[in-house]
Amino acid sequence: MNRLNIEKIHEDRMEVEVFDENSNICVRFKGDIDMEDPGVFLDPFFNQLHEGMIAQKIKEVKADFKELNFLNSSGIKAVAKWIMKLTELSDAEKYTIRILYNRDITWQVTSLPTLNFLVPGVVKVE
Amino acid sequence: MSVNNTSVRDGYIELKFGPRWKYIACVRGFIQNFLAISIVDQSKADKIAMAASELLENAVKYASKDDTHIVIKVSPATEQIQILVVNTADQESIDTLLTIYKKISEGDALQVYVTQMKEAALRSDGKSHLGLARIRYETGGDLKVDVHNREVQVSIAIG
Ligand SMILES: Nc1ncnc2c1ncn2[C@@H]1O[C@H](COP(=O)(O)OP(=O)(O)O)[C@@H](O)[C@H]1O
Ligand SMILES: [Mg+2]
Repeated sequence: MNRLNIEKIHEDRMEVEVFDENSNICVRFKGDIDMEDPGVFLDPFFNQLHEGMIAQKIKEVKADFKELNFLNSSGIKAVAKWIMKLTELSDAEKYTIRILYNRDITWQVTSLPTLNFLVPGVVKVE
Repeated sequence: MSVNNTSVRDGYIELKFGPRWKYIACVRGFIQNFLAISIVDQSKADKIAMAASELLENAVKYASKDDTHIVIKVSPATEQIQILVVNTADQESIDTLLTIYKKISEGDALQVYVTQMKEAALRSDGKSHLGLARIRYETGGDLKVDVHNREVQVSIAIG
């Protein structure tokens, strides 16, 4: 289990799992997120992640989308909701989100870099 | 766009679509395979499949009758592809569709997409109002909405 005590989500063809990575955290998304309302699973997941990052004063989370084949717009909304939470934090609480994307997956190449524009300075896309 | 205008050299496929969420992923995969034999550009095929998937999600969520269909048209000479999704809807959904369509068709596609993302993040209902803006930005194609009485036609053409 990871140090944030977040359980793996496995719903339909989607998998989301949290790992410890040295002093930071890594979240890995896999499969297809295309259910009617992925927020049902993703919203509580991102809330728990966000609260844990603050409580344990972790400064960086890696969001690895490389094995996510498909994400519908409701899923993009859930990711945007998470990133927008960073606007509510004080400088001391702030953490960075490093987004890893797959250059062979067309939607990732176009949509993931746009997350940069949501909250300037907290998202790094690479 | 209608199948009747299709020239002899154009290929097309038309599918009637029962309102089942589970069929969307299946149609998305089918379109990807269909385009793989019709065109060479993989990223164009991916964009079309994504757009079809978003449009079908809308048709399943917002159709008021069981008469949804999708047409995929390919012009081999130009590699232009059009996707058209047709469904019946109630006036309230149609009004929202026309409002969102107007909003997302004006201005820079990236800026509009980011604005819709920010607004979506503040919503707590099941809606995102992000799908159409995503299609416009990711495909760079020509998105059109036509309404006749209660019949809604949403199409995207990628050249
Ligand atoms: N095929 C359709 N039939 C009727 N209304 C639609 C259709 N597609 C979209 N709409 C309306 O347009 C709005 C915007 O669609 P979209 O950008 O895909 O966002 P979302 O699906 O998250 O609401 C929908 O909320 C709905 O009210
Ligand atoms: Mg939609």
